[in-house]
Amino acid sequence: MEDIARDTLIRASQGDMQAFEDVYKASSSFVYNVALRVVNNREDALEVAQEVFMTIYHKLKDFRFESSFKTWVYRITVNNAINLAKKNSRVKTVPYEDSFGPHAGHSQLFGEGAVLNEAQTRMDQEHQSQLVENLLAELNPDQRACVVLRNIQGLSYEEIAQTLNININTVRSRLKRSREKLLSLRPNFSYEH
Amino acid sequence: MKNCDHFKDLVLTDYIDGELDKNLAGSLESHLLDCSDCRAFFKEVKDNTALPFQQVLHQPVPVGLWDTIKQSIEHENQAVSPLADFIDSFKGLFVFPRLVPVFASLVLMLLAGSVTLNTIQIQQVRDKDQGEYLVSLLGSTGPSAPLDNNNWGTPIEHYFL
Repeated sequence: MEDIARDTLIRASQGDMQAFEDVYKASSSFVYNVALRVVNNREDALEVAQEVFMTIYHKLKDFRFESSFKTWVYRITVNNAINLAKKNSRVKTVPYEDSFGPHAGHSQLFGEGAVLNEAQTRMDQEHQSQLVENLLAELNPDQRACVVLRNIQGLSYEEIAQTLNININTVRSRLKRSREKLLSLRPNFSYEH
Repeated sequence: MKNCDHFKDLVLTDYIDGELDKNLAGSLESHLLDCSDCRAFFKEVKDNTALPFQQVLHQPVPVGLWDTIKQSIEHENQAVSPLADFIDSFKGLFVFPRLVPVFASLVLMLLAGSVTLNTIQIQQVRDKDQGEYLVSLLGSTGPSAPLDNNNWGTPIEHYFL
């Protein structure tokens, strides 16, 4: 997320639409992408992004600059996205098998001859995006939010804890369980702990 | 084996995320050099839970999103506007009561002043009328009678003065 001048935020909070558009331009990409990965489909991501910016528009006057604007927007985005994901509790993603052809399964994603390092060289971005979408679909919304904030947005554990308003050890625990889940999808892989 | 379990936990969280303390990270890396099982585990974790996400490009924001948000805000503002005007029109009234005590005090002072002034004027008129009346009475006793005479002479003069 691009840095936004305090003056711009203050003007936006006073109803200045040009300033609010500047806020939108600086933050819309990460708001949409975080939403997209947590809800895991474009239609819901658009709905979340719209809600997030309406919330920012209404609540910006209450923002006291005690926390960073970025963390504040992350929190609004992730909360909205998790709520919608839980509410819908439907996964609109294509199952693994379907996304790689009728006979493809886990082995094609993780099995022999499909080591990700090699796969990445031949997968186009759309395919890669589909893979991520499928991996995230295996996680619950809370786990998904942690993985998105850590692995895609690059937030530290401390930042994730602040954003989700949870203990840092809960962040660790959710990430650990998410990764165990992703590893469990791998055929012939056993990890018991 | 106990060490392996502990290190695998760290691999799954703090180590793979670069959050591990330098000393502990050093110990873990030494262990990875010696333990092929943990080394394989680390590779699995890296390849399957970290790398796929690192390669993800951000998706472009749909073009119409800003227009939708802007329209929603404008629609909201229009919907709110008559209500806001109504409240604004009442604001004058809400402000007015603050001045009511001041106005009331002024009115009371003016009233009290006018009543006092009126009373004084009435009293002055009465005194004047009474004086004139007495003078006329005195005049009726004889033109030569002095006004400052303390010898009132008649019962009515005695009664009033």
